[in-house]
Amino acid sequence: MINFLARRLLSGVVLILVITTITYALIYSNAANAARNILGESATAADVAAKAKELGLDRPLHVQYLDWLSNAIHGDFGVSWFTNEPVSSLLANRLPVTLSIVIFAVLMTAFVSAVLGVTAAVRGGWVDRLLQVVSVIGFSLPNFWVALVLVVLLAVVVPIFPATGYVPATESLSGWFLALILPVTALVLGGIASAAQQIRGAVIDVLDMDYVRTLRARGLSSTSVLLKHVLRNAAPPALTILSLQFIALLGGAVVIERVFAIPGMGTLTINSSLQGDIPALMGVVVALVILVVIVNLVIDLANGWINPKARLQ
Amino acid sequence: MLVFDENAELKPNLATAWTYNSDNTVLNLKLRSGVKFTDGTPFDGAAVKANLEHLKAGKGQNAYMADSISSVDVVSPTEVNLNLTAPDPGLVFYLGVVGGAMASPAAETSPEIATTPVGSGPYKLDKSATTLGSQYTYTRNLDYWNKDAFPYDKIVVKPISDATARLNALKSGQVDSGLIEAKSVKEAEASRLNIINPPIDWRGLFIADREGKTVPALGDVRVRRAINLAIDGGALLKSLQLGQGEVTDQIFNKKSQAYVSDLDNKYRFDVDAAKKLMQEAGYADGFEVLMPDLAGFPDVTPILEQQLSAINIKVKWQKVSADSTISALLSGKFPMFFFSLGSQSAWQDIQKVALPTSPWNPAKVNNAELNALVQAARVAKPGDEQNRAMQAVNTWLVDNAWFAPLYRSNIIIASSVKTNVTPQPWNAVPWIRNYRPAS
Repeated sequence: MINFLARRLLSGVVLILVITTITYALIYSNAANAARNILGESATAADVAAKAKELGLDRPLHVQYLDWLSNAIHGDFGVSWFTNEPVSSLLANRLPVTLSIVIFAVLMTAFVSAVLGVTAAVRGGWVDRLLQVVSVIGFSLPNFWVALVLVVLLAVVVPIFPATGYVPATESLSGWFLALILPVTALVLGGIASAAQQIRGAVIDVLDMDYVRTLRARGLSSTSVLLKHVLRNAAPPALTILSLQFIALLGGAVVIERVFAIPGMGTLTINSSLQGDIPALMGVVVALVILVVIVNLVIDLANGWINPKARLQ
Repeated sequence: MLVFDENAELKPNLATAWTYNSDNTVLNLKLRSGVKFTDGTPFDGAAVKANLEHLKAGKGQNAYMADSISSVDVVSPTEVNLNLTAPDPGLVFYLGVVGGAMASPAAETSPEIATTPVGSGPYKLDKSATTLGSQYTYTRNLDYWNKDAFPYDKIVVKPISDATARLNALKSGQVDSGLIEAKSVKEAEASRLNIINPPIDWRGLFIADREGKTVPALGDVRVRRAINLAIDGGALLKSLQLGQGEVTDQIFNKKSQAYVSDLDNKYRFDVDAAKKLMQEAGYADGFEVLMPDLAGFPDVTPILEQQLSAINIKVKWQKVSADSTISALLSGKFPMFFFSLGSQSAWQDIQKVALPTSPWNPAKVNNAELNALVQAARVAKPGDEQNRAMQAVNTWLVDNAWFAPLYRSNIIIASSVKTNVTPQPWNAVPWIRNYRPAS
């Protein structure tokens, strides 16, 4: 298990290095505009050149990157070129917001899709067919559209939830919940539909296996067979789907945060890309890659824990 | 230091009086006494000197506002002299905006100042109720000298970059006022929001290559006038802005010293007249011009292409991303481009576009006739003489078709029934002092 963990950690570090290198090289191609964007339209060419020098943009790309990397390893991601805030504090402010949304969304996806998927697989018949139809509809509705409909219905016409904004859980737990319920609902609809389908398929596959028949023949109750044996064997593909969902939800959160004016990683990503705020953008990339690596690692460990065969692979 | 009222008239604020010497090279400011910054530091001549020197040395976005100040003499705690390298008709305007913002000199060098302002104004940032990027809460500064001008005890500012989210926040009553888009006006009115819509930016073409270095045809004033005649500003205003704005052929706003009302209709849409001018200039068959296809104006591109093609000007488009827009436009690469630019005080606008060194004169065109008019405006005595000189610059720019302005675009401010908002000339968003409870 330690070997397994070490291998995964090492590949995670390599992944982070490769992605930050590529990202740095790509966004550097636009760095020449950064000094102009910072100083605004009234600055002279000489001022712009001086600012570029001050930011170190006149140095070769690899020198800039190595400088950035050595600082980043020590936890210093620089200072935002537009707000003068340290990037680490920008991330510390935004990451919990996005994580709140995404974790809430994953839990909701896991629970609802498991209930729907297992019910459809076990019951079959019209329940199964209804689920198929609902899934197709849920999957085909774009989440930003769902978000706008939810806001109009449940924040403007009937003002139950706030239309925009975010309340930290430390400030008000109920405020936090109310602020998140619409964004999360909009975000998970498609995910629930596809995860429920996957779970349904996995459960049906396991139910068809010989050992399940044998267990039933030995007189074990259906509930016991389902909970102790079928779900355990159907779980790995479902967990993999959930990990993919997590990553997809991170992407979806970028759009949803904008619709609900939530100051998370999505808003930070859009703003820093539009402005060409390279330190902030690099901070976002590193944080998100680390997050994806951690999620994959956790899912691998969970798979290994549930299914010992996975540890051997 | 100074403040503009809703009619763009300059009024006293921290500076109670201001006078120039005879050749407009020294500005004397009398300062309000007994004012303190929120950290207890007194506001005085030394604080003014420190702030202006800091603005100039900082080389930030607004450093140009202190460009003409060579030194600041502290005459007494309540009086300073700003010594200028040359007359600067924009200086008092700058003292009424960012250039005159005063921060405590004691806090100036603190690393905290970027996120914890220490000013002398009516409100203080309440850090405990502030989440960076999401919500900024300000509470009343009880020691402020002019409390009556500000009716609210608390102000919360929420940055919402998405226009739909902003409209939703307004409709649901989460915010009391905010900017909305032209297409949302009907929906906002149906939701009982009040709308005010002052014209702020002008939109149109910069015919940047006025000397015809890259595209020789653009060096001919008849071709530039033909471009002005060939584009139907009224139709563009109607289709792109749903009529939210007013047609114009000049780049200066209505409150500007340089504004000349007759120039708003100098070039009425007339394709036949435009074709005739093109023929006279020897370009009846037209020419090709490279223009930027800007991320911010995707709807403008096809209309301009079609209207310019009516006088045989073929546009070759080059995509420009949002974050490189300004650099691309100011680089001098594009002989002609469409853009939206704010118009503030006359001298500020002239500095922005008309000098050989102006950033928005990308081809760095240096015209002796224009330079003479600009110099006359610079040294003219404030008042009628200065107004006439500024208007002469405007008239020259329109006659020589340096631009093809199409319309002034309204900024649309929606507010709840509880809130009265007065628009602030020259500023897209009203100042805090412009908001009042309706009752």
